[in-house]
Amino acid sequence: MRNPYLPLLATIQKVKSETYDTTTFTLRVDDAEARQAFQHRPGQFVELSVFGAGEAPFCIASSGYGRDTFDVSVRKVGRLTGALHELGEGAQVGIRGPLGNWFPFEEVEGKHILFVGGGIGLFPLRPQIQDVYRERERFASVTVLYGARTPEDLVYRDELEQWQEQDGMTCLLTVDVATDGWTGNVGVVGSLLPKISIDVSSAVAFVCGPPIMIRFVVQDLSGIGFGEDDIVTTLERHMRCGIGKCNHCMIGDKWVCKDGPVFTYRQMKAMMEFEE
Amino acid sequence: MTVRLLRYNRIDELVARLMESAEVIAPRYVDGGDTFYGPIDSASEVAWDYRTAVEPLKRFLLPQRETILRFSNEGKVEVEPEYDERERIFLGVRCCDVAGVGVMDAMYGGEIPDPYYMNRRERATFIALTCQQPDAHCFCVCGDAGPFLDKGYDQQWTALEDGMLVEVGSERGEALAKAHEDLLESAEVEHIAARHRLAREAEEKFGDFHAYIAAAMRQLTMNEVAPEVWEQAADRCVECGGCTFLCPTCSCFTITDRWQDSHGVRERHWDACLYTCYAREASGHNPRPERGDRLRNRFFHKVSHQWAQRNGRHACVGCGRCVAGCMAWAHMPAGTEAIRRGVMT
Repeated sequence: MRNPYLPLLATIQKVKSETYDTTTFTLRVDDAEARQAFQHRPGQFVELSVFGAGEAPFCIASSGYGRDTFDVSVRKVGRLTGALHELGEGAQVGIRGPLGNWFPFEEVEGKHILFVGGGIGLFPLRPQIQDVYRERERFASVTVLYGARTPEDLVYRDELEQWQEQDGMTCLLTVDVATDGWTGNVGVVGSLLPKISIDVSSAVAFVCGPPIMIRFVVQDLSGIGFGEDDIVTTLERHMRCGIGKCNHCMIGDKWVCKDGPVFTYRQMKAMMEFEE
Repeated sequence: MTVRLLRYNRIDELVARLMESAEVIAPRYVDGGDTFYGPIDSASEVAWDYRTAVEPLKRFLLPQRETILRFSNEGKVEVEPEYDERERIFLGVRCCDVAGVGVMDAMYGGEIPDPYYMNRRERATFIALTCQQPDAHCFCVCGDAGPFLDKGYDQQWTALEDGMLVEVGSERGEALAKAHEDLLESAEVEHIAARHRLAREAEEKFGDFHAYIAAAMRQLTMNEVAPEVWEQAADRCVECGGCTFLCPTCSCFTITDRWQDSHGVRERHWDACLYTCYAREASGHNPRPERGDRLRNRFFHKVSHQWAQRNGRHACVGCGRCVAGCMAWAHMPAGTEAIRRGVMT
């Protein structure tokens, strides 16, 4: 019997500071055979162990295309993320996964693709943005709207610059509170929606951010005509086991770890604890 | 499936033989008069006339705390799992508790089997003892889990005048009967008739506790429970977690790491969905901040149609332990009654 609790060992290849409290760790599974088998899709997550400090779920923040490494981006908030931030290149961690379902890709071919991210909600969207942009001729258009609390909270700054400059993609940024030197948009991420034009009859939105931001963005998107099946989000819950046994991530009759974490707005609305 | 008779003067011999092949877990009286399931050293320890055990069988399959991995951290990290591979025979355990194991099987088996649970489960044999005198708080008749079972056991024994009627319910149970065929006799028609008469008589002996599971299931499933029910339940519940720890089918756990001398251990522990921090995330966000939210979640998981469908049956076996353990009258019979009536009385 396979033991789904047994982590693979992986080594930190690179540590990159994103903001004052977030860091991207690039990991590589140690065992060559297991590394080959570690095929992931945007939206999936891993359970990451810092041995002795514990284990917690983190989304895979990079596309698997052409890479034998993957990124997890982490905000330092507690014991485990604190311990992870103490580790440097060459340190070993544990990995279980990839776990959970993934964002639709082939299913949304030909559509206008809109990404709406808030704060560290950009982490799980990044692999999908990378995959969609790489094959952008398969889609009608690609737009990224991203907002953070302050300019200092914007993650993936190098990539944001690329996304803003490169052809075939629109990328708009906003901050809730401007600090010195910020000349861009000020306001919540939903305030960027009137600045773009998108044919909602053939569009899909991928949304991720704090619960309150998701709630308002979903309202905004519904208001301009996005269908319930065309708003896709990824939920975050306290997922201890990642395989539907421990029940910490349960919402009504769904396990976020196993039935999700990717859900459409229609699925979210049917959930027991959904708040309009 | 086959039926046999075990004369009373042969039980001790059979129990002694079982003890040679496996660890035998049976009901035992402890100081103070309570009954607990535990390993026995001799046949005389079995409390054949007990009513219910204080705790269900859960801890034998899912210990309250267990090591699931060991890791060293000297130079290179090495990770080793740890399994419990004891053969166990659960002898004379109540039907509701055997039914509870059936619910756990659905949760811990499935598409991703839990190796720690399944290792123990595959080495476990269940010999149920039918219940002829329910305890004051029992309501297994409402939970479709007793006082006699139709399935789910390896063997089911019923105490008759002439001896124990042995009903076989699985291949494992049949193999066990065949291995000790010399101690068993064939059962006659009157023995089988006596068993059915006793089952009917037992059903008539239940006390005042009922759980309106079908009615509660309907309301929960349609999301038509009056919100006041959860507020009223929350006013009473003291969040002790007792109902979840005593429940034969509550099996939520959490996982933690700690260092033990020079190596680390990863352990899993029982957890309770009623605790404030159960679903709280590292960010501080708590999806179920109010106790009423958590009570609703618990009752939904226990008896909604959605979960019954996912698990093959609802998760209350009517053992009555939440009644015995709850100091706030927020147990399953009170909860289902409140859900049905729209008010907690």
